[in-house]
Amino acid sequence: MQFKNKSIQKFWRFSTSFKLGIPVMVGITVLIMWGTIVESKYDAWTAGQIVYRSWMMYLVMGLLVYNLAMVMIDRLPWKKNHYPFLLVHIGIIMMIVGGWITQQFGIDGSMPIGLKSQSNLVTVSETDFVVYATFDGDRYSKIYDREVNFFKNPPTKEKPFEVLMSKDNLKITDYVPYAKASKKIIPDPNPQSGASVKIQLTNANVKQVEVLTQPSSQKAVEVNLGPLKVYLGHDYVTNGRKKSDVNEIYLQKLDSQRAVYAYFDKNSQKPYAQGKIEIGQVVPTHWMGLELRLLDYIDRAREEWEVKPSGYPTPLTTAAVFVEYKKRKEWLLLNDVVKFFDDQTAYLVSFQNRRLQLDFSVKLNEFKIDWYQGTQKAMSYSSQVTASAKEPEMEKQDVLISMNEPMKYKGYTFYQASFQQDEKSGEPTASILSVNKDPGRPVKYLGSLILTLGILWLFYQRRKRKTSV
Amino acid sequence: MKILFFLVSVLLSSYSRALAPGELIRTLPVQDGGRIKPYDSFAKETLELIYGKSNYQRQSQDGRTLKSEPAYLIVLSLILAPESWLKIPLFEVTHLDVKNKLKLSLDQKHFTGDQIFQSENFGNLMQELADQRQSKEKLTPYFQALQRLENQLFFFRELSAGRLMKMMPSQNSDQWISIAELPEKIQPYFILVSQNFAQRLGEISENTETNKKETVKAIAFDESVQKFMDVVKIEFPEKYNHMSKVDTEVLYNDLHPFRWTYVLYLLSALVMLFSWARSSAAGLDITLKASWSLALLGFLLHTAGFLFRVYLAERPPVTNMYETVVWMSWGSILFSMILEKIYKFRFILFCGMLVGTFSMVIADNAPAVLDPSIQPLEAVLRSNYWLIIHVMTICISYSAFALAWSLGNVGLVYYLSDEVKHLESIQKIATAIYRAIQIGVVFLTPGIILGGIWADYSWGRFWGWDPKETWALIALMGYIIVLHARLINWLQNFGVIVSAVMTFSLVVMAWYGVNFVLGAGLHSYGFGAGGLEYVSAVVLLQIIFVAYVSVARYFAQKNKLKI
Repeated sequence: MQFKNKSIQKFWRFSTSFKLGIPVMVGITVLIMWGTIVESKYDAWTAGQIVYRSWMMYLVMGLLVYNLAMVMIDRLPWKKNHYPFLLVHIGIIMMIVGGWITQQFGIDGSMPIGLKSQSNLVTVSETDFVVYATFDGDRYSKIYDREVNFFKNPPTKEKPFEVLMSKDNLKITDYVPYAKASKKIIPDPNPQSGASVKIQLTNANVKQVEVLTQPSSQKAVEVNLGPLKVYLGHDYVTNGRKKSDVNEIYLQKLDSQRAVYAYFDKNSQKPYAQGKIEIGQVVPTHWMGLELRLLDYIDRAREEWEVKPSGYPTPLTTAAVFVEYKKRKEWLLLNDVVKFFDDQTAYLVSFQNRRLQLDFSVKLNEFKIDWYQGTQKAMSYSSQVTASAKEPEMEKQDVLISMNEPMKYKGYTFYQASFQQDEKSGEPTASILSVNKDPGRPVKYLGSLILTLGILWLFYQRRKRKTSV
Repeated sequence: MKILFFLVSVLLSSYSRALAPGELIRTLPVQDGGRIKPYDSFAKETLELIYGKSNYQRQSQDGRTLKSEPAYLIVLSLILAPESWLKIPLFEVTHLDVKNKLKLSLDQKHFTGDQIFQSENFGNLMQELADQRQSKEKLTPYFQALQRLENQLFFFRELSAGRLMKMMPSQNSDQWISIAELPEKIQPYFILVSQNFAQRLGEISENTETNKKETVKAIAFDESVQKFMDVVKIEFPEKYNHMSKVDTEVLYNDLHPFRWTYVLYLLSALVMLFSWARSSAAGLDITLKASWSLALLGFLLHTAGFLFRVYLAERPPVTNMYETVVWMSWGSILFSMILEKIYKFRFILFCGMLVGTFSMVIADNAPAVLDPSIQPLEAVLRSNYWLIIHVMTICISYSAFALAWSLGNVGLVYYLSDEVKHLESIQKIATAIYRAIQIGVVFLTPGIILGGIWADYSWGRFWGWDPKETWALIALMGYIIVLHARLINWLQNFGVIVSAVMTFSLVVMAWYGVNFVLGAGLHSYGFGAGGLEYVSAVVLLQIIFVAYVSVARYFAQKNKLKI
């Protein structure tokens, strides 16, 4: 193609030449090299945020598409010997465009389903900040919901992320992408908060420490300590024993220094011992040498997260934000909630992965693991599911989803991704399916086909031409 | 395929009698690592883990190697008389830091169980490892070394307690029964085996010469093993039917086809070198033929070894580093032969032989990094169809790039000796490189796309910037840049030759680096450790060599201009 204007002609030459093409290719190569290093140091999600979904990536990919397209236009009118090169270029452009469609309009999430239960929610990687409010403590209404990307735009003390509430603002003043979180018990003046105890069960063989904290003064908590069950906050006098066929200890708040306890033997209606207890004192039991010691006691307490930033992610780290409302300041972990109180209102604040609601649900009937003979190495996982929509005729019963065998349903594809198992027994408790909707798929596949044909043709063509050199 | 298996089984029927006397125990079926394998493989792999080699080198007081003893004898004596091994340096420890912490001598490689496990620091180290696991962080080479130590102890303890070797099927589960759990009915037969073994071992240690001879004790030992197998067979006619496969594996272990492969490749390359050195026209034809025959023979063995593994593992053997190295070099040889047939440049075949020798020597001599044992597959990989079309396509593209790399190095040598004199050869090399890179690109592009389709099919996305797929793409981009730059003459002969050498480091990164250095992403089933210092050294040497030739060439040209 020729242009009269000199600078346009110059620009056109540049657009269609390798002077643009090769630097762009080198640029892409270097950029994605960096991406793999970021992924190795952090994780796939971080690499996506920093490299693969950054403006740099869009820029080089855009330039590549531009260069590929301009080179094709430059060769107009096309002759037969141009076909293979055209196919290759069209194929690459289609694959990049297909990838872009997937990124913009596709859904890539996961759906954990407990055994014998069902779900219609797909969790995706985008994060939302959501606030619910309640006036009667019963019904909550959503008063704030916005997509946030704290990784790219981290809130700081100087530039906090603010949510306007009725009187005061809720502020987020810090963000930790990889946080090691541990629970901390702190005293809380709120009259509604419950008690917290730290107890130790000891004899010659066992030494076990547990912390029990009531979520509120009205709710009881319990823990299994081998032959013994311990409850905190359950009023056995009015509500009766929880279970009569096990050994039980009931602890309840008395005042700021003391709690009351009652110890029941298995199958006995009357307590073997009861009384008041302070920090450091012991509840006697029936068995030789076994005793329950109260290590710590707070009459009004709540649990709070303590966060230590980590330089890189591990399976134990999670993202966390620091939330301030009035005088309270607290860490909030990703996909967790924190409760704040106003004079009349209670707020539930949540930083969470977005969950999309499907118009159908998937029920997990069965989850199976096959092992290699005589080992603990899994040979295959499979979930047997039933997918049911509003229309009864659309129901798909007992579909088997396994590795390399997905299920397609109403435009979505369900893959066996992983599973959860019970910590103690090792039995699987839930199956995790990855759920995917990809409108770019046909474009990418067609592009792949065209590209492959083009390359084979090109190879054949060059062979004829080049052997003489 | 069927014909091949038929041939193999014919070979086998004659082979069971070809085992040396006293060696029948090697064919005893054992359940281990998720499959039934011969005791021979079990013993080799176990000794490999504990001792670092599949043969035990018995040493005299002053550290000289007296004799090499096969794994099947050592492991059985570990099972039957573990206490006699506690004072013998049997456990391999190589990591410097670990040695320091255990206060072990730095110049030794092997230590006694007492030295390691009775060391006051051993408990602390194991605690350190447990803590690191608790934190769910990646295990660094140091922790991997600790992990190996833990495994060594575990294997030794379980082995000596008779719990590790599972040698009889059980009625109601697919888990086999170990020596310690053998029912009363069967036990006497195993006791007979061990008594006869003790006799036999005594005989061998007294006189090494009897090793292969048909002595009374050897025959008695074989008979007791046969008796044991017969009894178990009667008990479990259905479940105890692995004989032909187990025998094949012992045959495979004995033939050791890949060792002969590289010997033949090396010979072929040497013959060719010899013919160049002489460069007499008359001898050329004969040496060329000899070189081709050696290459073909090696290639045949290479193929046979590969097919052995297909039969034994029941899958295409391209699922770990070792197997891909074997497959990659097979492809290089194939491509070099095809290109040689077309162009008749001679050095294409030579370069193919170099790749074959180089990679097969590595594959055969670094079992710690390139694990030759046949392991069960991760669940997601259990699709022979996709394994064949995706993994094999990708790896065979690496074959072509490896060939280009080898050609490039030969080209650099030409530049170093005399650029003008070898102009014709250099031109030919550049052409061959260009062609090899084209072949690589033609395989790698569909290979990556097929990987995308498999990923879409089993993970739910076509492309996810996973490090493995990204690095395959980076390598492809590298070669495409080279091809384009050549097309528009940005790269002359020298440029093409240098690029062929340097771009191969991208393949090394995609192939080895992602799994062994980056260690991130979804292709985690191939991750491993070790060998980094060697691989980096090779890459570094390569860079130095290229730089040296470039500088030398630059000054040579400058001088020429002056004249």
